[in-house]
Amino acid sequence: MPSIKLIGLKKSYGDIKAADGLDLEIYDGEYLCLLGPTGAGKTTTLRIISGLLKPDEGMVLLNDEDCAELEVEDRKAALLSQTYALFPQLTVEENILFGLNIRGTDEKTKEQVLISMLDLVRLSGRSDAYPAELSGGMQQRTALARALASGADLLLLDEPLRALDARLRISLRKELRSLIKSLKMTAIHVTHDHDEALVMADRVAIIRQGRILQVGTPADVWDRPITPFVANFVGQSNFFTGEILKSGSVASLRTDDGVVLKARPTEMAPGTKAVLGVKIGNTDVSRDKPGYFTARVERVIFEGRNLHVDLRMENGQMISSKIPSWRRGKVTEGDLLNVHWEEIKGTVFPIPPGGLENELKVE
Amino acid sequence: MPEVRLVGLRKEYGSVIAVNQVYLTVEDGEYVTILGPSGCGKTTLIRMIAGIIEPSDGKVFIGGKDMTGVPIEDRDIGYVFQNIALFPHLSVQNNVSYGPRAKDLSPDVQNEISRKYLGMVKLLDKMGMFPSELCGGEQQKTSLARALASGSKLLLLDEPLSALDSRVRVDLRYELRRLSKELGITTVHVTHDQEEAQSVSDRIVLMRAGTVVETGTPEELYARPRNLFSANFIGETNLLEGWIREVKDGVSLVELRNGGLIKVAQTDMEVGDATVISVRPEFMFVAPEGMKATVTNITFMGTYSHITAITEDEEEVGFDVASLDGNLLTIGKELYLAVNPKTAVLYPKPKNGIEEAIRLE
Amino acid sequence: MVFFLFFVILPTVYILSYAFTSWGSIQTFVLDDPATMKVIMDSIVASFQIAGIVTVIDILVGLPVAWMLVRKQFRGKRFLDTLIDMPLAVPTAALGFSAAIFFALTPESLQAPSFALNAISSPYLLIILLHVVFSYPYMVRSLSAILVQIDQTYETAGRTLGASALTAARTITLPLFRAGLVTGIILCFARSLSETGGTMIALATMANSQGFQTGPTIIGQWKGMLGTHPDLAAPLAFVSILLILLALVLLVVLKLVIMKVRLPMGRIWPYPERFLSRGLVPKAKDGLAILFLIIFVLVPSFFIFSYVMVATPTSLDWGPFTDSLLFSFLIAGVVTVIDIALGVPLALYIAKNHTGRISPILDVLVNVPLIVPTAALGYSLGVFWTSQSLIPTYDVLLIILAHVAFTYPLVVRNVAGAVEEVDPTFEETARTLGAKPVQAFRRVLYPMIKGSILAGAIMAFTRSLGETGATLAVVSNANTAPVYIVNLIYAGGYYTAGLACIVLIVVSYIAMLTLRYITNGRRSR
Repeated sequence: MPSIKLIGLKKSYGDIKAADGLDLEIYDGEYLCLLGPTGAGKTTTLRIISGLLKPDEGMVLLNDEDCAELEVEDRKAALLSQTYALFPQLTVEENILFGLNIRGTDEKTKEQVLISMLDLVRLSGRSDAYPAELSGGMQQRTALARALASGADLLLLDEPLRALDARLRISLRKELRSLIKSLKMTAIHVTHDHDEALVMADRVAIIRQGRILQVGTPADVWDRPITPFVANFVGQSNFFTGEILKSGSVASLRTDDGVVLKARPTEMAPGTKAVLGVKIGNTDVSRDKPGYFTARVERVIFEGRNLHVDLRMENGQMISSKIPSWRRGKVTEGDLLNVHWEEIKGTVFPIPPGGLENELKVE
Repeated sequence: MPEVRLVGLRKEYGSVIAVNQVYLTVEDGEYVTILGPSGCGKTTLIRMIAGIIEPSDGKVFIGGKDMTGVPIEDRDIGYVFQNIALFPHLSVQNNVSYGPRAKDLSPDVQNEISRKYLGMVKLLDKMGMFPSELCGGEQQKTSLARALASGSKLLLLDEPLSALDSRVRVDLRYELRRLSKELGITTVHVTHDQEEAQSVSDRIVLMRAGTVVETGTPEELYARPRNLFSANFIGETNLLEGWIREVKDGVSLVELRNGGLIKVAQTDMEVGDATVISVRPEFMFVAPEGMKATVTNITFMGTYSHITAITEDEEEVGFDVASLDGNLLTIGKELYLAVNPKTAVLYPKPKNGIEEAIRLE
Repeated sequence: MVFFLFFVILPTVYILSYAFTSWGSIQTFVLDDPATMKVIMDSIVASFQIAGIVTVIDILVGLPVAWMLVRKQFRGKRFLDTLIDMPLAVPTAALGFSAAIFFALTPESLQAPSFALNAISSPYLLIILLHVVFSYPYMVRSLSAILVQIDQTYETAGRTLGASALTAARTITLPLFRAGLVTGIILCFARSLSETGGTMIALATMANSQGFQTGPTIIGQWKGMLGTHPDLAAPLAFVSILLILLALVLLVVLKLVIMKVRLPMGRIWPYPERFLSRGLVPKAKDGLAILFLIIFVLVPSFFIFSYVMVATPTSLDWGPFTDSLLFSFLIAGVVTVIDIALGVPLALYIAKNHTGRISPILDVLVNVPLIVPTAALGYSLGVFWTSQSLIPTYDVLLIILAHVAFTYPLVVRNVAGAVEEVDPTFEETARTLGAKPVQAFRRVLYPMIKGSILAGAIMAFTRSLGETGATLAVVSNANTAPVYIVNLIYAGGYYTAGLACIVLIVVSYIAMLTLRYITNGRRSR
């Protein structure tokens, strides 16, 4: 239920800046994913919101009230950590009812909550089991039920699916989101996995080195990234450096080799040094359709639903393309193919200070 | 001569059977992935190949030689651990040269070898650093260089990428395959991530509860999995129940429980048989007629949108549309869905029910 | 925390100030008196030499056994595990008596059984053997604790790279071992240095101890004579000072040396090391280690039982003995309660405040009373309390305070160690679920560390029960059970002493069993 505002948060550990002027607003009832590489400051942010960590500077507002003086246990913000932290000496039932037991809730209410929670997370037959006896997925669901039953209205999820098998992760994504949504809670879900964020979030906030780079709906951060890092982190992108030729309704960029590429509109003036980014999934390669330039296929990797194609341009630069697998017959190693994308799918950025390679580094 | 051969391999711990009668042959130079959910026995299997665990029954042959009773250090293997296991008190270079040093090769040769392999994984500039100073991806690359530097022709990878961020994983998995092929090494790679398996392997071995369910190339397993578990595990799919109405001209006509009619280009079942059809989301599309369904959810997936809809028999199905077209659909809209006959796969309906057949844990 | 500083640290090092205040008397009675100096130096040198030799022996024979316990699976492993702890259950007074009867040439009046070894006539050698007996379990336990923390995957990785088991252990595990090895060595050394009761008894039991003394036994003896020879105060102080200072210096030196020493890492000899890793050699090594355990540790510990069965009985005056036993119990009980009540909070503080500046210092300070020989500690403490007038100095109180000083660190270390092992996420999650810090402790952390609190308590209890040195150094006519036994032996009442020992052993053993039962019960949950 609460809305949260983070204003100018700063937190350092010696030389390391875990939060460096972090601003973020999370709406009431929203499912927000905080997406970023390891070490970006995601967990630090979560801990500051929960009250477990005090920021060096900045404010946390819950429902527009400064909660600097509010103790952890009074914030009604339940934390679900990567390791679940299920209390090993308590049964599933006792774990789930932990929050209510602390509050001294009456037996009748506790029983009702327990039954509905067990049903919700599909653990009705296991209430007497101990955490050590449960599988990974079951432990995760128990931890979730415990958080949901605690009377909290804000859920803080720290990479909740990380410890699970890949396949299980995919099935649980939908379940986790719909459970939380059905209870109308506000949720902040921290992850490094962009697929997860895109599927689960109402909005995604990209965080890196203690700052928020961009916040928006999954479509926003995917199609309209603000920086090259965002363009490459939320789904891999191809990048081309050059100079702006034309801005206006369709932007065009001339690369150092003289090739002209098109992108969606930009405000940058012609002549500015810039870099154009386009998602590899939007980069189309074909024999017949005309393209901006040609490139030679070096390798084709099967990924189930998609093919990942790596190509080498004439000037030696490597680019990639993701096409559906059923086009397998049309793409083989050694082929010289035309490379094309829709203008609206390309974005131009100013050259990042420090260079492009530095900008894209993940670790 | 096949590089690795497993004959009737079995491992039990008390009453728990971790690996149950596995027969497997890995050819010289092949990159094989052993894929399966947690607890399926894949890690136990690879540890038996390495000699870390002794089998309860059965034999392991490496390079044609029976490995029964042969200790780990004599099997000539390279092993990469899930938790990386770089020696914390040795520098990156000394970690990588450990193998040559154990063979008592001269310091010059040790130096040469370690430089060569560190160069291959592009970590020459981190040679003097210690493992704790490196990030996850670099640590794992060092671990790989160390395993390769022992000069072995058999590389065993135990969930080598599981501990890494998803972005780093994607970058590193291609390196694994590239190095393996460049050096002409036979590789056995264990993982629970089906996408990882599909992108690196020559062949996938799918395991469940201690046994091998199916083996095949990534394409085979994706397009024509031989049973429901594989179909569901290897990638997302819709499972539709129904029964065979007609078999004619190389096509089976299936009447679905939700009222729709689907044609499948498969004729190995008989009229009246109860069946389950597997259709992947990218092969189901909106059509003028077919299976009736109501849209319940539209999820943006980047280059496409994934639509969830409910059919007449209250089952959920998912299909993909190009992301621009996704804007034309709204929640609650009724539509008809059709399926490409060549992409759907027919299976007999499992006795214990579909849920049980595809269960992951 | 204040308690700790005031009641524990201060008294322990107080005696050092004596060096400044009464340098004059030290000069006259000690430094200028060659006879006294010789006695002091001989005994201190003997103490340190013995401690050193004992530690080295313990490492050599303890390491294979520790390795076996941690790395290998075999039938009877739990049995071995229990066996090793047995000497810990036997109070050192009884151990001294038992070992002496087994190993040494004893006087006729003792009536040692004919199957006793009866071989040793050198007091030096006897004390070494005795000290090995009770320090062995400490060494094995310390080594095991470190070994358990080193992930075996490192060794396995080494073997997949072609190193034989011995090579992998030598080049990978051993270097990682170092930090923990220091702890084991220091504990072992300090324990031997401290030992009083058993040493006194062993020396008294053997036929001819030739006036052999160790540092602690000198303190015990002289303190007893202080009433009639007041000028022994200065020598007493001097011995204590010397013992304390040297022990502390050694602690620092050992820590530095062992961490800096560069182990021979260079060459690997594949063929010989392979040979040593397989077949009979490891089995022989293990077999020898176990043999040593049996002959030199277990048999001497329990020889007292066979003695009592064989010798001619004389009746024990149960009255005074029971009194002394009850007195020891009372003291041990009070000491344990104080330790827990005040030790747990300090342990929690240390474990949770790693980043502060005070915490690491506290951590080191906590170890001081463990290193300092208990006799010296006792004397220093006694002098401290008697020289101030804030608190009345009843004998009982003094003994309790002395015992608290060296058992308190045991509890603190145990509990702090356990708390550090627990993932802070548990308590944090509990707080986000609505629990106040106290509630989080009570419902989440406490159940997880209950076992170690109990373990610490029982360690403190048995330690106090068996302590002789500090008791005598503080109140020389104290009537605790171990002192009672010492006096019995001095008086020649060997059989009665034997009986008394057995009662003491049985009681301690029951306490140890209770510990096992409770902590195992917890673990199997």
